[in-house]
Amino acid sequence: MKLRLIVLLLLFSPALLAEDQGVVVEDDWDDDWGEETTEDMPFHGFVEAGFGSRLQSDSAVGRRTTLAETRFRGETELVRERWSLALKADLYADDVEAALDANVRELALVFAPAANVDIKIGRQVLTWGTGDFLFLNDLFPKDFVSFFTGRDDEYLKAPSNTVRASVFGKAINIDLAWTPVFADDRFLNGKRFSFFSAFAGGIVAPDPPLVAQKPGRSLGNGELAARLYKTANSVEYAAYVYIGFWKQPLGVTARQTLFFPRLSVYGASLRRPAWGGIANFEFAFYDSRDDRSGDDPLVANSQLRLLLGYERELVARLSLGLQLYGEWTSHHGRLLQNSLTPQFEAEQLRTLLTTRLNYHDARDRWQHSLFVFVSPSDSDYHLRPQVRYRMNDAWSFIGGANLFGGSKPYTFFGQLEDNSNIFARARYSF
Amino acid sequence: MQAGLAASLALALLGVPVFSLAADLTDAAEIIQRANLAAYYAGDDGRSDARMRIRDGQGREQLRQFTILRRDREDGGDQDFMVFFSRPADVRGMVFQVAKHIDGDDDRWLYLPGLDLVKRISAGDKRTSFVGSHFFYEDISGRNPNDDHHVLTGSDAQSYVLENTPKNPATVEFKSYTVWVDKQTFLPMKIEYINEIGEIYRRMEVLEVKSIQGYPTAIRSKMNDLQGGGHTLLEFRYTRFDLGLPQEVFSERSLRNPPRQWLKRPSG
Repeated sequence: MKLRLIVLLLLFSPALLAEDQGVVVEDDWDDDWGEETTEDMPFHGFVEAGFGSRLQSDSAVGRRTTLAETRFRGETELVRERWSLALKADLYADDVEAALDANVRELALVFAPAANVDIKIGRQVLTWGTGDFLFLNDLFPKDFVSFFTGRDDEYLKAPSNTVRASVFGKAINIDLAWTPVFADDRFLNGKRFSFFSAFAGGIVAPDPPLVAQKPGRSLGNGELAARLYKTANSVEYAAYVYIGFWKQPLGVTARQTLFFPRLSVYGASLRRPAWGGIANFEFAFYDSRDDRSGDDPLVANSQLRLLLGYERELVARLSLGLQLYGEWTSHHGRLLQNSLTPQFEAEQLRTLLTTRLNYHDARDRWQHSLFVFVSPSDSDYHLRPQVRYRMNDAWSFIGGANLFGGSKPYTFFGQLEDNSNIFARARYSF
Repeated sequence: MQAGLAASLALALLGVPVFSLAADLTDAAEIIQRANLAAYYAGDDGRSDARMRIRDGQGREQLRQFTILRRDREDGGDQDFMVFFSRPADVRGMVFQVAKHIDGDDDRWLYLPGLDLVKRISAGDKRTSFVGSHFFYEDISGRNPNDDHHVLTGSDAQSYVLENTPKNPATVEFKSYTVWVDKQTFLPMKIEYINEIGEIYRRMEVLEVKSIQGYPTAIRSKMNDLQGGGHTLLEFRYTRFDLGLPQEVFSERSLRNPPRQWLKRPSG
C-alpha cells in the first residue's frame, strides 16, 4: 500500500520538480563542456515510476494491476588504457510481485588481447539479427513479461553471463558468445499474466508460479552462439549458429515437469537498402535435437522460421516498417497424431504480419509509435501503441497499452486477451 | 587557372596561407566547390567534440553533446562519420554511423546500448531535424553541391554572395537559399533559406571561426527558425584534423565498442 503511494507521488510530482530542470544551462554553458568524459567513474542512470492496469478482470489472476514499481538505475564505467569495466544495475520495488529486488544488467570487462580482437566477459545484454521485435537467430534471453507489462523496450532483452569474443578480419568478422550456464527467457509463469495451459484445457495462472527444470550445470550444458558477418557495398550478410536449448520450456518430462529440450539453430540474414528504404531477409532452422522425428508429443518439433522485412520513411520523421514472418513446423502430421491435445496445436505454418509506425516531432519532444502483430493463421493480434513526451533532457513521460485478442484462447496472443493493459511511466534521467 | 594553381602551390610551400590570395573568383561553381571543401572536408579526417543547445519558440531548452569522427574517402567525395552521444543521459551511449555517398543514398546505422542493438536506418529525408535540433542532417554532413544551380549575385570586400536554387524542388522545403562565402577562408558564413512566398524562414550564421592546424574552422554557429522562433547553437571544441584515422574505425565494431583511442580529447 505504501509503495503504491510512493508510485503515485512520483508520477505526479515531476511537473512540480521540473520547473528547476527546464533551464539546464544558461549562457554560461561555454564553461560546462562535460568534464564528465574525463571523469574517472561517471555516474548516470534514472529513477522511474511505472503503473499499469488490466482493462478487464482476469479470472485466473485476481489482481488488475500489471505494473506498479519504482526503479532506480545506476550506471558507471571504469576506463583504463587497456581495458574497461562497465556496470549497469537496477534496484526496484515491485508491488505486483511484492518484492524489493536488484538486477544487474551489465557487469562486464572489455579488453582487446590483439589488435583485431575484442573480448567482453561478464554479465551483458546481447542482440543480433535483423528482425524488429522478432528474433530468429538471436537466441539470447528475452524477457516477455517486461515486454507485455509496458516496461521500456530495453527490458525485452534480459542479460546473460557470457564470454563474447569478436574477431575482425579483412574478409569477414566473427562473433562467438559462450554462455556457460543456460540462460532461459523470462516467460509467462502466472505471477503477473495468465496463459493457456493445454493440460488444464484453459487459461491458468498457477500459484505457486510455473517453474521449469533447467539443464544441469555442466560444461556440456552451456550455450554457444556464433555469427559470421560482413558488409560490402551497403549490403550486410550474416550467418549464424546456435547450440543450446529451447529458450522456453517446450518439453515435459514423464513426471510432468517442464524442461528445456536441446536445440541447435542454423540461419542466415541479409539486409540492404532497397526502394528508398531498408529490406531484410532472415531464416533459421530450429533443429529440435530431442525430437528430430517429431513424434514425441512432449517435446517441440523442429521448425523453419522465415522473415521478410521492409522499412522506410514515408514523410519526414514518419516511418513505416512491415514484416512477414512464418514458422513452419516439421512433421506436423506426426505432431497431431501423437499430441495429447491435438486440438490446441498450432497450424503447420504459423504466419505473422507486423507493422510499425513511428512518428516524432522536429524537437523530439513527442514520439508516437504503434507496433502491431497480427497472425492470419492463429487469428490473433497484439497492439502496442505508445506515446512518449520528453519534457526536457531529464524528464520524460510514457503512456501506452498492450492489447491482445484472438478468436481462440490457446493461440500465442489469443491466450493473453484478459491481460490487455494500459500503463504510464515517468522517468527522471541523470 | 593553371597559373593560379601554381601560385597558390608556391605560396603554400612558402608557408603563406593559401586563402590570402586576394584575386576575386567569378565562377559560382568553383566558389561553391571550395566552400564545400572548406566547410566539410578539412584535412583527410578529423575528430571533434560538439555540443548543441536547442531552444524552441517557447524558450524551452535541450542539450546534446557528442563526439564526431570523420574520414574522407576522397576530397569532395564520399565520407564516413561516427557520432558518439554523451549527453543528455537518455541518449548517452548511442552511436550514429553514416556512410555518405555522393552518388546515391547514405547508409545509416544507430546503435542502442540498452538493447545492444545495431539498427539500420533508412536513408530518409536529409532535410529534417538532426537529433531534435534546428540543424538538418544535411547541414551537418553537407549538401551535395550538384543538387543546386548556383549563381554569383554579388560580392563585397568580405564575401561572395551566391543564390542557389534546387534542381529538384520536390525534394526540399526551400525555394532558394542565399549563401555568403568568406573570400579568405571560403567558409559559408551565413545562409538564408527562402520559401515559396519569398520570405526568409531559416538562417544559419557562423559566430566564430578559429584556425585549427591551419584549417579555418567554424567553431560556433547558430541555426535560427525565423517562423517558429527557436534556434540551435552549435559549438565545436577539441577539434583535430589529420589524425590518420583508419577506415576500420567506421564499422560495427566501433558502434558496439567505441574506439576510445580516437575519442580521447587531444591534449593542449
